[in-house]
Amino acid sequence: MLLLAGPCFIFVAKPTEQHLGQYYTVPPSHFHTVFPHGLPPRYQQQVKTFNEGCVMVRQPALELISHLKRADYSKPTLRYLLYGVKGSGKTMSLCHTVHYCSTQGWLVLHIPDAHLWVKNCKELLPSSYHASRFDQPIQASNWLRNFRTTNEHFLSKIKLRQRYVWTKRESTEEGRPLGELVDMGVSRVKSSSDVVGAVLKELRLQAGGTEGGFRLAVAVDGVNGLWGRTTLKKEDKSPVAPEELTLVHNLRKMINNDWCGGAVIATLSQTGSLYAPSSAYLPQELLGEEGFDSMDPFVPVPVSLYSEKEFESCYLYYLDRHWLQHPHSQTEEGKKELIFLSNRNPSVLERLCAFL
Amino acid sequence: MAAHTLKKSIWSLGRIHCHIYGVNVRNPLNRATYATALSTNHSSQNKGFPDRGNKGPFNRRSRREAGDPRTDRMPVDQDWTTVYPTATPFRQGSVPLPVRMGFPVKKGVPPEKKGNLELIKIPNFLHLTPLAIKKHCEALKPFCTEWPSALDTGAKCDEHFPVKVECKDYVSAGTSLRNPSARIVHLRVSLSACVNYDYAMYLLTVLYHESWKMEAWESEKTVADMEEYSWEDSPSQKNIMSTLVRMQVAGEGEGEAVREELLGRPEVQEYRDSVTRLKNEGESESSMHQYRDAVKKVLNL
Repeated sequence: MLLLAGPCFIFVAKPTEQHLGQYYTVPPSHFHTVFPHGLPPRYQQQVKTFNEGCVMVRQPALELISHLKRADYSKPTLRYLLYGVKGSGKTMSLCHTVHYCSTQGWLVLHIPDAHLWVKNCKELLPSSYHASRFDQPIQASNWLRNFRTTNEHFLSKIKLRQRYVWTKRESTEEGRPLGELVDMGVSRVKSSSDVVGAVLKELRLQAGGTEGGFRLAVAVDGVNGLWGRTTLKKEDKSPVAPEELTLVHNLRKMINNDWCGGAVIATLSQTGSLYAPSSAYLPQELLGEEGFDSMDPFVPVPVSLYSEKEFESCYLYYLDRHWLQHPHSQTEEGKKELIFLSNRNPSVLERLCAFL
Repeated sequence: MAAHTLKKSIWSLGRIHCHIYGVNVRNPLNRATYATALSTNHSSQNKGFPDRGNKGPFNRRSRREAGDPRTDRMPVDQDWTTVYPTATPFRQGSVPLPVRMGFPVKKGVPPEKKGNLELIKIPNFLHLTPLAIKKHCEALKPFCTEWPSALDTGAKCDEHFPVKVECKDYVSAGTSLRNPSARIVHLRVSLSACVNYDYAMYLLTVLYHESWKMEAWESEKTVADMEEYSWEDSPSQKNIMSTLVRMQVAGEGEGEAVREELLGRPEVQEYRDSVTRLKNEGESESSMHQYRDAVKKVLNL
């Protein structure tokens, strides 16, 4: 049943229940700052093609946003986990929530894909800080660069509470701004993994603090990559366990709920996961025992396929953008065919419409 | 059943194709041989080296020529058990079938049986034709005893032998002899046929007392050995306890009293049930929803 005359474009800082199924436009200026590295690749192509970024307001994102609004930030951090079948919109819901948090002035720690840290690493250096751990300089410096882009305005405000010594000649003193630490990490690639660890620790200590307190949103995509196996090997060909990687070790500490003043929003992802069957999508299957016990207690948020109304809205949006060129796709028959072929799966629908 | 096994084994031996391309004239004695269109040259002399009259560097005593394969001399009604009396590898000269096996190279057909290693590698059941099995049975008969004539109906068998033990054996071609399903043995007793009540009670009492005895090695049981998940002392309980204590839900205070109070709350009980259900029964949408509601209640969302 068509409840809207067409896809409505709104710009809402605070989406509500009434806006379910409608599209809201992300201002172009936000794309480079908020999402230097978070969006799914096909969506980035769509943004470039349509010259605008429109995100559909859906139930899981709304639920998350309402929880975030009502939560008490003096209590230990709440963990939210988005789960659903492949292509149902978990990453997009996460990005929507991240955008909301950044418009509300939170500090956003967005890890675009935790799986990237446990596979395909060309350089694995033994950590200088801890003998049995391994550093990943390239991944760490990339992430620091993107973190700097996202949170420019916070970098000068947050001051370090501890002195960090990097080498005999270099150290960062207490009271220096966080920006200096991040710049150092980007320029000195060798110690960038330790810089990431230091940044995470500082943010954890200072979030929700009384003086100049800020709220911290930790958004991790593909959080199931932090537990399980890696495909990395040490020099003697024995496999590297995830906890032996500095980046993973520090990120796991962030996901614990022993700090307060923010929220942890995570998604599960089977695409890109290692050694997980392709039909797995439920939390325990993908997280494993260890992961589940670490995340417990968390609030699972299921992301389902498009409902009728959402499908209508998406279809009308594509029509409006003149994306559906094939004449048959613009008829009722064509729409029924699309429903049948895609089973209302958002990503499948997007790929199908790309051909038309 | 043996014939069925044989047929099944022959048709299931990889990719075997029987091609009959027509009767070849090369059979003056009119024996039934199969001909293939891709037959090879049968000249068996000299194998490519010119005859040097036993002189020169390749001085070899002239080889005895290979005779015709046995298949040419096989009558149709021969006794196959003499050809393959025991389990032997495939001999292409002894099997009068035009089998082909292997990957067809360059859009061709699978290679023929002559010199075909694939056929030799696989197990064959050529020694187990129905006739061969009949002969085995005949040979075993002198060693068997007669079935007792008094046990001619099923009811009489049940009456005299109330306990039935059923074992299964599995046969498959694979890397390992073992099949875990072969370890399952079914023991059936009809309760209404139990005769010796006293003995049964005695056995049960002994078993009961025996089961209470703790062996020394039982104390080494780890969490991974447990048959089902128990929430007490699990990481889940520790997490929720520490979270609730930090949220100061029960008011100020530390120690056992606070823990007991928290454990007694209905939300915590619900949470415990949902986690136990998730771990023991496995995941499904409904158990995930139950967990979700329980967490929301416990954390006061």
